[in-house]
Formats: sequence, C-alpha cells, structure tokens
Amino acid sequence: MFERFTKDARDVVRGAAEHGEREGAQSVGAEHLLLALLDREASRASFALAALGVTERKASVREALGEARRRAGLSRAEADALAGLGIDVAEIVSRVEEVHGAGAMAGDHKDKGRWSGRRSFSRGAKGILEGALRTAAGRRDGHIGDEHILLALTVRPGVPAEVLADHGVTYESLQRVLYGEGTAQAG
Amino acid sequence: MTEATDLAQRAGDRDPRVGLRAVAALRRLLEQLEAVQVRSARNQGWSWQEIAAELGVSRQAVHKKYGRQ
Repeated sequence: MFERFTKDARDVVRGAAEHGEREGAQSVGAEHLLLALLDREASRASFALAALGVTERKASVREALGEARRRAGLSRAEADALAGLGIDVAEIVSRVEEVHGAGAMAGDHKDKGRWSGRRSFSRGAKGILEGALRTAAGRRDGHIGDEHILLALTVRPGVPAEVLADHGVTYESLQRVLYGEGTAQAG
Repeated sequence: MTEATDLAQRAGDRDPRVGLRAVAALRRLLEQLEAVQVRSARNQGWSWQEIAAELGVSRQAVHKKYGRQ
C-alpha cells in the first residue's frame, strides 16, 4: 500500500505512530495523522496549511484536538447529537475526572505501561489513508503525498475534519491553494 | 392537541443522521466509561470474575478485552 507514498507521506504515517505512542493511545488515530501533518515542513501539505494561515495557529489546532480527546474523542457534532438525547458529555467527563483524575476519559494508559510496543492504526486512520489513495487516484496523481492525506482528513466526518474546518481548512479551500481550483469544481 | 401534533411533527422532521450519530457517539462514550471503571476496579483489587458479574458479561469477555498487560 505504501509503495507510491512520497517521503513526506511516509513521514506523516511514521510521525502519527510516534504521536500515538507518546500519548499512550490504544491505537493510532486520524487525529495523530493530523498532528504529524502539523509537524511537517517544506512539504505540499505544509505549504497548503501555510497558505491558509494555519502555520501561526498550530497551537490552536493542537489544543482543539486535545479538548476533543478529553471528551472521549467525540466531535462537537457528536456531542451535540448526544445533547439532543439529553446527554451532557461535558458533565459526564467532568464527573468522571472528579473521581478518576484529569484525562481519565482520554483513554490513556501510560501509567500502567500498557499498550506498549507497536500500535496498530485505528479503523478511522486506515480510512484516511485509503481516502488519500482514492484522492490521488481521482486526480490521476502518480504519487500519494501528504497533501492527499490532508485532503482525506477534511472529507471524513470526525474530530480532525471539524477542527480543520474551524481553522478554515476544508476540501474546497485546499483545492484552491493546492491546485488553483475554485469551489465549483471541488467534490 | 396542538402540542402533541407539534411534537410529532418535530420528531418526524428530525434527521435520522442525528439520531444515528447519537447512537454511535453513545457507544464510544460507553466504551470509554467501561474502560475507566474496569481499570479503577482492577486498581482496587477486584477480580475479573467480580467485574464481569457487575457488567453482566462473562469473565472471559472482560479478561479478553482488558486483561492484556
């Protein structure tokens, strides 16, 4: 699967695994791919992010990802859907943290030394990588670069897409800065 | 009467996507809560059997899910 990945794209995959490990996460998720993308310099994706003004707002992106992680990895759309059922996610998280400590709902297991060793990629993260393949194929690009991973992140509903959109990064805005295509041709 | 029709209408209008998303989110929330509680019980010296009994599942199921060290 990775033969056609550029060096930058491979670095993002490797970086995501490192982020997951550092966090003590159970598996490498889509949010770790985004964190790894933020670390890139002089790549197609970092150029696109810079063009959209995200370079100066990396801390804000990381913070938003951290917030989502604290609320059990739920996106705001998911938290809103639960609110529709009368379930207050923030309230649940704060009560659990009161008893079990801050970050209890983040699913970290660092304290126990559990989940050590190689982490597998979550279904969500695999979906993003497959999406990157499809995006590249759809554009008839011969390579899969980190920009395709970034594009795939904006398409799949979830925390990374939501956080990116909050920072002005959408499929359409990426198409514009990467390929000079207007919103009319996007999708 | 109007209130009942109003309610029924709003329920009918509701986008199934929101309902389905809520179910999926609830499942993930449940998974996190279960992990927190199981970990806490283990830290307090509970056996897998005791934890399984409270959760209403088999001992093997709990152990398989959380027993890895």
